[in-house]
Amino acid sequence: MNLDYSVILSKLPILLQGGIVTLKVSLFALLIGMIFGLFGALFRISSNRVLNSIGFVYVWIIRGTPLMVQLFILYFGLPQLGIKLSSMTAGILGLAVNTGAYVTEILRAGIQAVDKGQMEAAQSLGMSYSKAMVRIIAPQAVKISIPPLVNQFIMTLKNSSIASLVTITELLRTGEQLIYTTFRSFEVYTTIGVIYLIMNSIFMVIANQLERRMAQK
Amino acid sequence: MKHMVEMENVHKSFGSIEVLRGLNLVVDEGEKVVIIGPSGSGKSTILRCINRLENIQAGTIRFEGVEINNKTDLCALRTNIGMVFQRFNLFPHKTVLENIIEAPIQVKTLNRQEAVKIALQLLERVGLAEKRDAYPPQLSGGQQQRVAIARALAMNPKIMLFDEPTSALDPELVGEVLGVMKSLADEGMSMIVVTHELGFAREVADRVIFMDQGVIVEVGSPKEFFENPQQERTKAFLSCMRH
Repeated sequence: MNLDYSVILSKLPILLQGGIVTLKVSLFALLIGMIFGLFGALFRISSNRVLNSIGFVYVWIIRGTPLMVQLFILYFGLPQLGIKLSSMTAGILGLAVNTGAYVTEILRAGIQAVDKGQMEAAQSLGMSYSKAMVRIIAPQAVKISIPPLVNQFIMTLKNSSIASLVTITELLRTGEQLIYTTFRSFEVYTTIGVIYLIMNSIFMVIANQLERRMAQK
Repeated sequence: MKHMVEMENVHKSFGSIEVLRGLNLVVDEGEKVVIIGPSGSGKSTILRCINRLENIQAGTIRFEGVEINNKTDLCALRTNIGMVFQRFNLFPHKTVLENIIEAPIQVKTLNRQEAVKIALQLLERVGLAEKRDAYPPQLSGGQQQRVAIARALAMNPKIMLFDEPTSALDPELVGEVLGVMKSLADEGMSMIVVTHELGFAREVADRVIFMDQGVIVEVGSPKEFFENPQQERTKAFLSCMRH
């Protein structure tokens, strides 16, 4: 065994730069994915058949196909139709659309988990459906949804590694480039793993605190 | 006497099950009507049809002489009709005070100060002034139900509907809720109460209604109703309840 991490250590700034790209891609994807998910959930609980169907088809297609295929369609497929997306745009959009489908289901389940009596009580006091939704149902639904949302956020952060395949130089791709010059696969991949673990751990700690603070209320 | 609620030949089904089968009922202003009957008889459905938490399939319901139909502004209607639920349905993410001021601020657009003032008076009245900053899960069932009554009263309704308000309570907590309801009755509030508390019916009701299988079987003053019921089904039900 001749493991030598000193090579990696000297190249650490490059890896960390890749980590920053990973964070950037993930955060944008999460933010946009949350918006997709919010609308998706509202569509899914809507009594309007068209909106409901749109929400259903969205979740059905995205959950039923691999993220990698979705990204390839956006980045390699669309140019054939004359739509050229930069690798960054394709990566973030693909991840966001993918995350949004799962967030849709998480929020829908959260909303439906709120006791029916809450909506009835709010409406019996004269509140409109939409007002009751925003003021009474949503805060309770969000609280219920936090643990599965945290789970999904972690998945998205890790899934961003797939964006390396549409040529975004994020953490994984940076590492692979490093291997080409150093031939240190084991050291590079374990280091990358540790960086992912650290990023997710920070995120989990923040999420735990948020959850605890909401539980106190 | 002004009619508060009028129901004419009301039919209501859930799927193939007909819960109300041509129901007729008039409740006057200031009147206290208690509805009793076995579970599944349609008692609660009556209340839920009056404030349109349920749609009816046929018949007419009028509130203060105005028919409730698809054109009715339900939000406006419901501000006039207070409802208290079996399972309280307080908002768990809001404090007691926030529960009470929510609708006055959001629906009646009262400013916060006024709403708080009214809420504190109501909390005083139901004996829970010291619980204003508590969250509902920290309260006993009886306390939660008293807050729920205060929350409904904060909208200054013209009639109060009580849907088995003591059925989810431990026996020792029933009295405090009935006490609040009695004081409300004494002040002249119009009330329709679905309950299994025969003592309350006897003491407070102007009229007692016995329902079974979606129809009104018998109506009477508490005295006639409890001492000299006419219908066999009423007699059978009352004898069950007394044992």
